[in-house]
Amino acid sequence: MSEPGSRGPQRSTKGVRAKSRPADRIFLGLSTGSAASIMVILAGVALFLIIQAVPAIMADWQTNPDLTSGPTGGYANFWTYVGPLIWGTLFASAIALVVGAPIAIGIALFISHYAPRRLAGILGYLVDLLAAVPSIVFGLWGIIVIRPFLLPLSDWLNTYLGWIPLFGGQVSTTGSTILAGAVVLAVMILPIITSISREIFLQTPRLHEEAALALGATKWEMIKMAVFPYGRSGVISATLLGLGRALGETMAIALIISPAILVSVRMLTEGENSQTIAANIALNFPIATTLQREALIGTGLLLFVISLAVNMVARIIAGRAGKGALRKRKKMLAQLPPSDPSTVLAVDDVLARKSPAVHTEGADDPEPEIDREEREGKDA
Amino acid sequence: MKLKNVAAVGSLALVTALALSACASGSGSSETPAASATPTTAAVDSTLTGTITAGGSSAQANAQAAWTSAFTAQAKGVTINYDKSQGSGGGVTNWLAGSYDFAGSDSPLKEDQAATAQTLCGPGGGINLPIYLDGVAVIYNLPGVKELNLSSATIAKIFSLQITTWNDPAIAAENPDATLPATQITTVTRSDGSGTTTNFTNYLSQTQPSIWTNPPSNAWPIAGSSAQQGGSGVVNTVKAGEGTIGYADHSAIGELSSANIQVGTGTDFVPFSAEGASNAFTEAAATVDTGVEGDLAQKIDYTKITDADAYPIPLISYAILCTTFPDEAQSTLTKAYISFIASEVGQEVAAKNAGSAPIPADMLSQIATSLELVK
Amino acid sequence: MSATISPSRQPSGRIANSLTSGQLPRFIEWYMLAGSLALSAVILLLMGFNVAGWLVLAAVIYLIGLGILSSAVENRRKATDRVVRGLVTVAFLLALAPLISTLITVVANGIGSINWDFVTQTSQSVFDPDTLEVTTKVGAWQAIVGTLIITGIAALISIPIGILTSIYLVEYAQPKHWMARTVTFLVDVMTGIPSIVAGLFAFSLFSLIVGPKAFSGFSASIALSVLMIPIVVRSCEEMLRLVPMDLREASYALGVSKFSTITKIVLPTAIAGIVTGVMLAIARVIGETAPIFMAASFTDNFNANPFDGPMQTLPVMAYTGYKFPGQDIAASNASAWGAALLLVILVVILNLIARVVAKVFAPKGSR
Repeated sequence: MSEPGSRGPQRSTKGVRAKSRPADRIFLGLSTGSAASIMVILAGVALFLIIQAVPAIMADWQTNPDLTSGPTGGYANFWTYVGPLIWGTLFASAIALVVGAPIAIGIALFISHYAPRRLAGILGYLVDLLAAVPSIVFGLWGIIVIRPFLLPLSDWLNTYLGWIPLFGGQVSTTGSTILAGAVVLAVMILPIITSISREIFLQTPRLHEEAALALGATKWEMIKMAVFPYGRSGVISATLLGLGRALGETMAIALIISPAILVSVRMLTEGENSQTIAANIALNFPIATTLQREALIGTGLLLFVISLAVNMVARIIAGRAGKGALRKRKKMLAQLPPSDPSTVLAVDDVLARKSPAVHTEGADDPEPEIDREEREGKDA
Repeated sequence: MKLKNVAAVGSLALVTALALSACASGSGSSETPAASATPTTAAVDSTLTGTITAGGSSAQANAQAAWTSAFTAQAKGVTINYDKSQGSGGGVTNWLAGSYDFAGSDSPLKEDQAATAQTLCGPGGGINLPIYLDGVAVIYNLPGVKELNLSSATIAKIFSLQITTWNDPAIAAENPDATLPATQITTVTRSDGSGTTTNFTNYLSQTQPSIWTNPPSNAWPIAGSSAQQGGSGVVNTVKAGEGTIGYADHSAIGELSSANIQVGTGTDFVPFSAEGASNAFTEAAATVDTGVEGDLAQKIDYTKITDADAYPIPLISYAILCTTFPDEAQSTLTKAYISFIASEVGQEVAAKNAGSAPIPADMLSQIATSLELVK
Repeated sequence: MSATISPSRQPSGRIANSLTSGQLPRFIEWYMLAGSLALSAVILLLMGFNVAGWLVLAAVIYLIGLGILSSAVENRRKATDRVVRGLVTVAFLLALAPLISTLITVVANGIGSINWDFVTQTSQSVFDPDTLEVTTKVGAWQAIVGTLIITGIAALISIPIGILTSIYLVEYAQPKHWMARTVTFLVDVMTGIPSIVAGLFAFSLFSLIVGPKAFSGFSASIALSVLMIPIVVRSCEEMLRLVPMDLREASYALGVSKFSTITKIVLPTAIAGIVTGVMLAIARVIGETAPIFMAASFTDNFNANPFDGPMQTLPVMAYTGYKFPGQDIAASNASAWGAALLLVILVVILNLIARVVAKVFAPKGSR
């Protein structure tokens, strides 16, 4: 689909090798060129960001008349300005991810493995559709729906759990809290995580699933053994994309939260919500003078670095989890009841009725598992 | 050819109608004062063609929309793009980068910006022309309280979070007739940088330097308020929450109640009115000598506003343009548009459609003089 | 395969009664659900009723009750399975609430301002020289055209680059090769670019190239491409990796060239996922506000030339309509919601088209 022009010559079945070589080479060149172009684009953006940010980072924030007033007024240097913003960004994204990611993966599972197939199509479409709702709309929706909706909950949490710093402080009367912002962020990242996870769960090889079921696994055990390990890197990648959106989300946060540049863990207050980097840029960029703009670009550069760090940490975790999960799976498979290979095609209805009380020690067949591992190794 | 002639005749008729209607509405309506005896004509050259690209202050956005519509109704070949999403700072920055023909800004060029302007416009530099006048309204939501009188001292204490409940003695003293509840005060401010904030903090720091110790700034300096994006964010939040108080451009507050502000240290509490803002302008605004010929940057001394018919917190917004344009056609076009804005008719169009206050007539004639210097 | 004969092996067909002894009745989940809804209603009626609390409490009672019941009658594994099934369903319902609420809000607020004129006409204002009054008729045509052009160009740039890059990463590059690692790393970095910075990059770039008055639809497209490419690469890469190695090996074994294998076997197998990924990417950037208003500025006038002058788009229209309302605040807000609804409708249409495309290209007989 990507190269309709070069499809033609491939049609003939005779002499495929000879004819395909130029096309092969062109294609290799094209895809390598694309990959290289990414380096160029990014180098351009990064270089530009750094060149723009350096004057503001180096400037004297206490004497430079451009920096002592307006949004950058009253800070000792760039780092004291950006510190609280980094905290706010991470804090808001963390809440959003804690709220959103499990639900998103739950929905993906529901659509791929629990919902009736006809319904699943519609639901999948609905979720895709939600990815299309622009952030400005989520912002407006947050203002008119989520802010008032969360007010009673905030009051309740503040009254009964106020001793926990998260819920302490003077509770907000307008609802423009970091909690409201994070809930909206969670809703915004749902479709991204869900769509990709769903597609990945659906790609789990049927044989793996059926093999697990055939071994007597319940549906959940099947998912744990076959679906999750297979889709792990995809789900992590989806979550990272969601996190990327949460970290950089601008408009919705800027509209909903009543921000202040300070470090705070309070979630329910009006005046103690830590500002995020992206929202801070959006809110102050238009009014800022040249040097202030450069300071804001400097904070953008740090957002860049943060998201990079988050990515790398997540990749390392994913790599470790990969090894750990493999061991765990072996252990779990060993605990499963042995089963007759002839039930491989059994449907879950029959499986559900199967007597569970049949453990025979050490009788399970290790072969299928090795098989699967090998295949996965290749796939990845 | 023929069509062009018809158009010319048509627009001539339109211009005449315009001039006539300006006089008519000036004398006919009681609320818009006909401030001058010599109405500046609003003749627009209908043969003009081209595109004006401008942007900046969102305070003048509605007025710009009305001016654009009125101007292009006569000069049909002209397209005007005023980008209101940029804000005052963005407008000036883009103008300094050469992207705009003029910038809309709530504050005049700063010194370093004026220096940069000389590299853009040549030695003549850029000039600030006050074209838009409005007031900052102090809006509140307190069920049962229809009228609220506030002095600058009380406002400063409320917004610096020294007064935290509505039944505070300081508020009660100024409102003997109102029944003030013990509700917590939630101050609602702008979370984004804004010219409105500059004007408001400037007012507070000039009138109450001992209470309001922060310097004027386009970013709200005090944490602990409910900070909302945009004037509409402030207005909506004040509307939605009980016990809230905030500030916004008067033309953007809709049906919300706004406080009567004490003038000076007297006993008069004045609600916003167009005449009030015009009077305040006459009383307190003085042209700053920036060394640029034709520059009309104003400095407002809020402490000079003492008359009972002046609104104490006026808001001025400027058009900033080069004295020498790099392109003559663009210069003619932009001059024509700004002259229209700074005419009696132009000001009235803004007052009717954007709720602004008219700029006093002698300032308009000064703007006309300044515009003649623009090449 | 060594087969252990399981004592539980049953002939298909009816299942002997003795085996259902450790089973909960078939519709137990529905009974439980009804029971917990009722119980939670009773509890909340005593404490003060509200719908959200009722549903949440019912879900909690249901999950706990089912877990206890199942582990008592059946066993722990079954109980876990049932509780997870419940949890997944609850997660889904929980998520559905805000999603549906958003859609309803957009539709309810936007439907009022959408009519034929709004969609097909540009904004017009009429100036009455007699009363000096300006009456504005808001139209979204200029914004629709602008959005389609800007997003279209961004997609034209990003989709080929994105898909080809992911092909390079998955099919051609050795995983340890320096370039593959660098590109993977850079794509990760790129996902972290704040959208407003992308807009600033595009604007500054074009200021350098075009000089002053650099606002254009095309520069907004460049900004959107910077945001879109990493999303396309990431999702396509993921989808390509999911194509079983067996398919490729089978193809190579038949002597098919790498190019043909990729275009005829790998891409069609992954096409549904790729289309989803691309649609997500488009959906992600089509609603971007900040980079567009930085690069393409704002206008109420019609402009279909992406290389010259400010261009209006639906998200910017929605944003300015809300943040900078006109004199008639309600009318401005209504047009903002109208623009937002149009944007959503536009994406639905694009989505439908993409699905049809995916169906046409997908290999027959796949699920």
